[in-house]
Amino acid sequence: MNERYTRQSFLGPKSKEIIKHCRVCIIGLGGGGSHLVQQLAHIGIGEFLIFDADHVEDSNLNRLVGATQADVAAKTPKTVVATRLIQGINPNALIIARPQKWQESAAMLRDADVVFGCVDSFSERHQIEGTARRYLIPYIDIGMDVHDLGSQFAISGQVILSMPGELCMKCMGFLRDDLLAREAANYGAAGSKPQVIWPNGVLASFAVGIFVQLMTPWHKDHRRVWYLEYDGNSQTVATSNRLAHLSGVVCNHFSALEDLGEPFWKPTDLGAEQTSDGQALGKSAEAKT
Amino acid sequence: MRAVFKVVDRLLEGVRLDLARRHEFAAERVGFFVCRPASLVLDGVVILAHDYRPVEDDDYVDDSTVGAMMGPAAIRKALEFALNNKVSMLHVHMHDHAGCPRFSRIDARESAKFVPDFWNVRPEMPHGALVASKDSLYGMCWYPGKSEPIEIGEFVVIGSPMVFVRNG
Repeated sequence: MNERYTRQSFLGPKSKEIIKHCRVCIIGLGGGGSHLVQQLAHIGIGEFLIFDADHVEDSNLNRLVGATQADVAAKTPKTVVATRLIQGINPNALIIARPQKWQESAAMLRDADVVFGCVDSFSERHQIEGTARRYLIPYIDIGMDVHDLGSQFAISGQVILSMPGELCMKCMGFLRDDLLAREAANYGAAGSKPQVIWPNGVLASFAVGIFVQLMTPWHKDHRRVWYLEYDGNSQTVATSNRLAHLSGVVCNHFSALEDLGEPFWKPTDLGAEQTSDGQALGKSAEAKT
Repeated sequence: MRAVFKVVDRLLEGVRLDLARRHEFAAERVGFFVCRPASLVLDGVVILAHDYRPVEDDDYVDDSTVGAMMGPAAIRKALEFALNNKVSMLHVHMHDHAGCPRFSRIDARESAKFVPDFWNVRPEMPHGALVASKDSLYGMCWYPGKSEPIEIGEFVVIGSPMVFVRNG
């Protein structure tokens, strides 16, 4: 008898099958995404769609779970590290790995049951959320930041669940037009942001917890909106105060008919090995098992 | 080809409540999901529910041989809506039980008659018919260019928790 999942059987009699058949998409396989990949493989996710255009660099080894010194020398794509991590835990997992920006194969997100975003910029978060809403996919965003306060530093971060039909990241005040505009004005000047492993681990763990509650809840307090704020100095995670002021607010950012479905959709009888953007599935993938 | 139907739980709950309302003479109620489609990369189509349009009380025909008979006005209004809004329309009614529902012979026969009429106004869109139970769904999709309807193999109810109904 396979006893791998016996200690998580409290998740419900169907939890193993639900998790096994779940298709998750993870965008960004760096500090946060590598933790997510590892944990999702451990809980038994059966299908992964992973995106990252970067390869492993020496500066990644302070936080990139699964990466080794040899990967630095070999300039191993982060998708390969993630694939190796998943397959080492669950050789039966189906993995579609794309060493490219997700926008180059954005159509592939439509097949996902949940999308995780582990990206740096507000604009990219905005794009991912918009795509997820368009195809009625829950989106879980994680991110951390280090702030220079002059004489000391502050670590902060967030985990947000953006559910179709519920408050979006703009409603929550996390994405703001001024932030998006400022970021656009500074495009290319961001430099490399400070990143460390432990906040990424904390945030990824909360994201996986929210995901499992969504898929196969072990209790009856089913929250539909999550906005957790991480204070890395006090080592606390708490629900954002902003949610308390949004009770009864209805999101109108994605409510129009035009915000739903594939724009300019035309009927096609796609072959099983073709994507709707014309690329052969798995053509650029490291692994498709 | 795979067909998937996705709906937010609040919308589906509202539809179930509407369909459970008593009508003056019809034994059951019917309505239409207003949807937009998208192609799935792994072969197929996902039909995304945006809204629901119930058949109005006055648009039923009194026919005791069936649970609910839509009059010409009901169908005309649904066709007009599809035409004006460039949407997929999925007829829906409810069976009053828990567990996986199935079409009755009458459901299958009548759906095959009127669903393809939506191609007269929106030939490029998939249309369909669904039956909801208290906790599950079943349905068929008429896909453009395919003469026979295809069974909707997967229903995803977006909520907390998520609900997946996989047929076949």
